[in-house]
Amino acid sequence: MSDGRTRRVFVEMLREEWRLHSRLFRGSHFSMFPVLICLLVAGAAKLLAVTGTAPETVFAGLHALVFVFGLHTGSIGFVGRDALRNLIGDVTLLVFSARTLPLSQRKLLGLFVVKDGLYYAVLFLLPFALGTVLAVTGLGNPAFAAKTVSLLWITLTLTFVLGMGTTIAALGLAGRGVPGLALLAVPVVAIATAVVAGLNLPAYTPYGLFLEPTLPRVGATGVCLLGVFVVGAATFDATAPTPARTVEPAFRRWWRRVGDPVAAKSLLDIHRSAGGFGKVLFSAAVLFGVTAALVDFAGQITGVRPSPGISFGAILGLSGFTTYNWLTQSDDVDLYFAHPLAVKAVFAGKFRAFLLLGPLVGLVFYGLALAWRGGPRIEAAVGAVLLVGVACYIFGTTVYLTGLSPNEFLFDTALFAVFGAALVVPLVPILIIGFAISPVSGPLLAALGGFGGVLAIVGVTLYRRSLPKWSKRYQQA
Amino acid sequence: MPAIEIESLGKLYGDVTAISDLSLSIADGELFGLLGPNGAGKTTTMEILTGQIVPESGRVAVLDVDPTTRPTAVRETVGILPEKESPPSFMTPREYFDFVGAVRGMPDETVTERTESWAERLGFRAKLDTLSSDLSRGQQQKVMIAAAFFHEPAVVFIDEPLANLDPIVQERVKRFLLSYQAAGNTIVVTTHDVDVAAELCSRVGIMYGSDLVADVRPSELDAGVSLLDVFLDHVDASVDDDKPLASHE
Repeated sequence: MSDGRTRRVFVEMLREEWRLHSRLFRGSHFSMFPVLICLLVAGAAKLLAVTGTAPETVFAGLHALVFVFGLHTGSIGFVGRDALRNLIGDVTLLVFSARTLPLSQRKLLGLFVVKDGLYYAVLFLLPFALGTVLAVTGLGNPAFAAKTVSLLWITLTLTFVLGMGTTIAALGLAGRGVPGLALLAVPVVAIATAVVAGLNLPAYTPYGLFLEPTLPRVGATGVCLLGVFVVGAATFDATAPTPARTVEPAFRRWWRRVGDPVAAKSLLDIHRSAGGFGKVLFSAAVLFGVTAALVDFAGQITGVRPSPGISFGAILGLSGFTTYNWLTQSDDVDLYFAHPLAVKAVFAGKFRAFLLLGPLVGLVFYGLALAWRGGPRIEAAVGAVLLVGVACYIFGTTVYLTGLSPNEFLFDTALFAVFGAALVVPLVPILIIGFAISPVSGPLLAALGGFGGVLAIVGVTLYRRSLPKWSKRYQQA
Repeated sequence: MPAIEIESLGKLYGDVTAISDLSLSIADGELFGLLGPNGAGKTTTMEILTGQIVPESGRVAVLDVDPTTRPTAVRETVGILPEKESPPSFMTPREYFDFVGAVRGMPDETVTERTESWAERLGFRAKLDTLSSDLSRGQQQKVMIAAAFFHEPAVVFIDEPLANLDPIVQERVKRFLLSYQAAGNTIVVTTHDVDVAAELCSRVGIMYGSDLVADVRPSELDAGVSLLDVFLDHVDASVDDDKPLASHE
């Protein structure tokens, strides 16, 4: 590929990325997204600083978050085409053009990574760096702040690229059968061994470079990045056909057990899409970890031992949002309406699937929390009521605001703000009680239990009240 | 009683007129073709008739039921093959037919028997337990055709039925459509393929610029006049026949 063509493909890839995001984020709303990100990150970093979290911990957490972001971005580009298609229709990215145009697959892959690195560095990682540094170190010394922002921006970008490279290398190796999987196990075992041996692993990552911008660390980061991209370039084939998957028929059995065809289909979608039911458990596990950290933080600040029942119950109920997301992610809404299914029946099926999955997963982790942190039985019972109440409230609010497309929250800043406010209003009083009052008195527990019931009723009412609106909306599309 | 009646139908998408003052009556047992170039309003008409979208004005009835007020009742009676849809990604064709049967309240034995017969008819038996996301476009189209006819409806709406199909399966589908009509059922086909309309349809409505501009019976055309001639007479399709697409000089 000549240089002129390389430049042209690169520019077109950047344009493609912009159009993809503009389409997802509904045009003009997208231009405000970097500002929103900067504010959100600054708010979170400030909160952590105020609660006594060391700046190094904040920066380490940010690098970890960006690494995961890089892993995720790589996987969306290469294996998440189904999810993209459900959001915005048929999608074919330029990175897949090697099959139809005289373009080198390796060069396309390289351009894709550079394009993503540049694109996300400017629109996402710069606001990350700016918001964090302003919140943690402030503007007292502008020269120092500017230097820190620059360094953080560079190391975050390298971390992001490392995440993408890791995904590509992992997918490449995984696509090479058993030998590839065996090779994939080598770095995993090596990293685990290094951790056990007490080796300072972060020193060999871009985060190590941020902590100590020295020449050896530049070299270590460079070797790390080069390693994953050499493996990725040698093994990854973006145009390789995936083998057709054959499965045992399960729909009839699931439908009999669940009692609703839409609910059975929704649960099958989760089961068979990437990650299976594991992704629902993973989402709840993340929330479980966050809650544990929050409970510890709150205990340190207030000097009171937070109520595990109330705090874990209320926060784990939030897992209802991700559960509803998973239940709708594989939907093609129009297809439902090619069958004699009323909008009401589709939502009823979703609600049934949600009730079977959302509160149940939340309660599993809630049980773990109680086993770990203990607490009075009556508080545990009230916490369980709160969990189910919050989960139903989240379901109702999400359906009311976004119908069958909860992803809308990610793409519409205003809608996201309304959703956030709707969550904060009932949750903050519950969490203040859970975090700051110990022991919780009998009347207060009764009030909290009652409030959990009210939240469930509000959630179900919101969902039912929204049905005429969605019936009309889906018929006027 | 006509199977389908449309009176002064109008539909807008924002400022764009998709259908303007469309009136049409389709008799019971007709194989009616809605023919027109892309963007003529064919798919929108079909979506209104099947209760998937509502019009701004006009009146429609399918088997005497108004799809704008009773969409589910209409969809219980008719079969639909939407143009752009494919079976759910994470269900196999067999499971999708089970889903269709469950939604339509069909007995298991009937569902199993029809699954087998459709797989045989359209040649996808080997793919019955393959996830739909791993099927080719042609295989997905076969599954969607079977799903539209699965409950043996008296009226079927099919949008571009032969798209993505190989010539052998196209022939099978054409024969099936003709036999289905011969059994007294009504079929509405939307297509932009003049040859398909001429070969299959007992009556053809030509849509252009959101209007119905002609209503013809291909079998009654004068000798030497083809459906393509009629179509080109009504559609602004100026083609410079003499200009080559590319020159190798």
